[in-house]
Amino acid sequence: MTPLLSITELSVAFRQNGIERLLLDRISLQLGKGEILGLVGESGSGKSLLCRTVIGLLPSRNLQVCGGSVRLEGSEILRDAAIDKIRGRRIGMIFQNPSSHLDPVMRIGRQICEGLALHRGLRGRAARCEAITLLDQVGFPDPAAAFASYAHEFSGGMRQRAMIAIALACDPEILIADEPTTALDVTIQAQILRLLMDLRAARGLSIILITHDLGVVAQTCDRIAVMRHGRLVEQGEKRALLAAPGHPYTRELIASHPALTSGDVPPLPSHGHARPIFEVNDLEVAYPGGGFLRRGTGFRALRGVSLQIWPGETVGIVGESGSGKSTLARTLMGLIPASAGSVAHDGEVLTLRHMAALRRLRAEVAMVFQDPFNSLNPRKTIGETLAEVLRSRGLTEPKRVSARIDELLDMVGLERSFASRRPRSLSGGQCQRAGIARALAVEPRVIIADECVAALDVTIQSQIVALFRKLAAQHGLTLIFIAHDLAIVRNLCARTVVMHRGEIVEDGPSAAVFDHPARDYTAALIAAIPDIDPDRPMNGGLSPTSQRELTT
Amino acid sequence: MHRYRFVLFRPLQFLPVLFGISVITFVLVRLIPGDPARILLGTRATPAAIANIRAQYGLDDPIWVQYLYFIKNLLAGEMGRSTLYKIDVLRLIGTRIEPTLALVGMGVLLALIIALPCAALSARRQGRIADHAVRLASTAGIGFPSFWLGAMLILLFSVRLGWLPVSGYGQGFADKLVHLVLPGLTIALSLSAVLTRSLRAGMIAGLQSDIATAARARGLPESAVFWHHVVPNALLPTVNLLAVNIGWLIGGTVVVESVFALPGLGQLMVRGIFTRDYMVVQGVALTFACATVLINFLADIVTVALDPRVEL
Repeated sequence: MTPLLSITELSVAFRQNGIERLLLDRISLQLGKGEILGLVGESGSGKSLLCRTVIGLLPSRNLQVCGGSVRLEGSEILRDAAIDKIRGRRIGMIFQNPSSHLDPVMRIGRQICEGLALHRGLRGRAARCEAITLLDQVGFPDPAAAFASYAHEFSGGMRQRAMIAIALACDPEILIADEPTTALDVTIQAQILRLLMDLRAARGLSIILITHDLGVVAQTCDRIAVMRHGRLVEQGEKRALLAAPGHPYTRELIASHPALTSGDVPPLPSHGHARPIFEVNDLEVAYPGGGFLRRGTGFRALRGVSLQIWPGETVGIVGESGSGKSTLARTLMGLIPASAGSVAHDGEVLTLRHMAALRRLRAEVAMVFQDPFNSLNPRKTIGETLAEVLRSRGLTEPKRVSARIDELLDMVGLERSFASRRPRSLSGGQCQRAGIARALAVEPRVIIADECVAALDVTIQSQIVALFRKLAAQHGLTLIFIAHDLAIVRNLCARTVVMHRGEIVEDGPSAAVFDHPARDYTAALIAAIPDIDPDRPMNGGLSPTSQRELTT
Repeated sequence: MHRYRFVLFRPLQFLPVLFGISVITFVLVRLIPGDPARILLGTRATPAAIANIRAQYGLDDPIWVQYLYFIKNLLAGEMGRSTLYKIDVLRLIGTRIEPTLALVGMGVLLALIIALPCAALSARRQGRIADHAVRLASTAGIGFPSFWLGAMLILLFSVRLGWLPVSGYGQGFADKLVHLVLPGLTIALSLSAVLTRSLRAGMIAGLQSDIATAARARGLPESAVFWHHVVPNALLPTVNLLAVNIGWLIGGTVVVESVFALPGLGQLMVRGIFTRDYMVVQGVALTFACATVLINFLADIVTVALDPRVEL
């Protein structure tokens, strides 16, 4: 049997000013009919580029195919002038970020009809009927309304469904899904993956699923191909490959996957009669809504939140996007004012004697941000950034500043030479280490980390988590770790706080929360995490957010 | 339809703006040195006659009382009498507004007709000869002053080629249209330069955007990607740029109308200033200011119509 799509010895190079760099190095890969192939690798490994090359959409003029072939049912398509008859029609593609890939000023229905008219000659009422059928198939509860809606009227998950419907309108045989769930919450991710598998079953669709999450691959794919530095390091049947990885990089990837059942979680410290570092009482935060002459009621991001955080604790705050976890962090830092209730830091209520309380708070609490690049000043070297904090903090003698910078870099595992480098020349993981060094420069008692590993590759993620674990143990830091990734929290934090729609729904020792969740919502969140073991299926059916999906 | 609710409420926000406009035009005219009564009666008027006029026109009242009279008259549609034309200013403006509106309309229309294809050509052939030519032309278009450009156009099309009239407004629709081509073109050449630059930048960004990539991945031909997805998104920021520029244009008609001897508001304004016909100056300034407010309001409506995400 000939495979549906067969890639042989495909190479792509970047050429500029006479310099040539090989970005794809002799990739050979096959995709059978009705098969789901998982393409795994870290960012920059060339997995997206490979798929772009297949459909003839190289992202830059400086990129050139320099060898190999791509055959669709035996016929060469790589240098075929008629690739635009194949693109969309036979090989469709969906992307990571539906918000930026959907046209914001064109109705969803019209975007579907475009494909219907172009590839299937359907127009007018026939096209409209088919489009509504498609929207129904991908799970829109009111397909006729969705037809006339714009992308911004939907949540992230529904936008991804819309993009799938648009791709399906061309009735392709192969669907390339480039990180389709990376930007989504776990429960929504589970629904989208379930949808892709259903579509495979219903239409005999073959799917290439690009992802960095081995859990996603383990749950959905038949075969796995692992890429690194433009090379295909390993490929094989899912179970065989996960059970006995041949390449060291594959082993590293599997080892970095944050499993839910890991033993070495630090015990809850006993706090005896100590005073809590943070005491939050019945906190409410509302964002004002409406505008001139139209006073809205506003959006309540936090409702009746009460929480105590004790010295030396590692607390993970988890929840889906919009659950209010980042708002809580910002309120703790005094960056957002409370509308009602109170936040006290070390016994001092933030709203009373505001400036003095804030000054103490900022001296003792430091924050690490989600985006490592954009939270560092691009014009300053890492050394200058650290020196600025040290000087304004005033604890370090001017003579000792450079020595202290070296210490800080040592603590976060960066070489000392990084002091003279700028963020642009650093990788994401290195930038995040620099961000942590900056937080440590304050000599804080507490570090608040807001989704600080979400933008990083899994292998880097596990390194950063290990760094946090080490710092918390060695320096007795209190760590408030905000993440949507429950597995990481399970590994790092002794205590887990689950948030949902601005309220705390569960709070307790991590082991208890994860093993015996008291609330359905928590249970559903945990069940939706794709496990790396293919024999432990994720549970996408129990969705606590399916209602919210429809209303946002 | 709730997105269009602002059409009802927004005019309420105009009230403070209109108040400001009325204060400024009122004060500006009063700041001009010289006694209006003396100007009205001439240099050889007797002191008694001047006092009489001052009492009759309320010039002896405190300035805020005069302002209230001014507002009261405005609301009644009274803008005073032109000393030069000896008719009511409002009626005078009424007879002169048509050429100015037609001129601005013609200018904007021609500017769009020039800018859209130029920007499209330039963006789709970025870095090639056509692109360089368009960019050079648009830089030149911004650089040339309209009085010079207008004179050159007259020299070429009217004097040398004899295709179009030299100046004036003409009678009847077709004749007026013919008379408006050159002044319209004068405005359009500089306006289209600004629009082309904005559109080109938006289109180039659009061609590289994820929206375009996704459209290409669906197999849409490049022209459909461009006209269906890139252009509508590139138009959005240009709408507001156009509104700001039309505001400018209204002031700019003063120059163009003088060059082409068009009997519009701009020319009326110039003549009013030279002959110290202050009621006319005040009336035209008010009209220009209100027109600018109105154009920005229209731009908001167009923005809401083009971009479903915008809520005002």
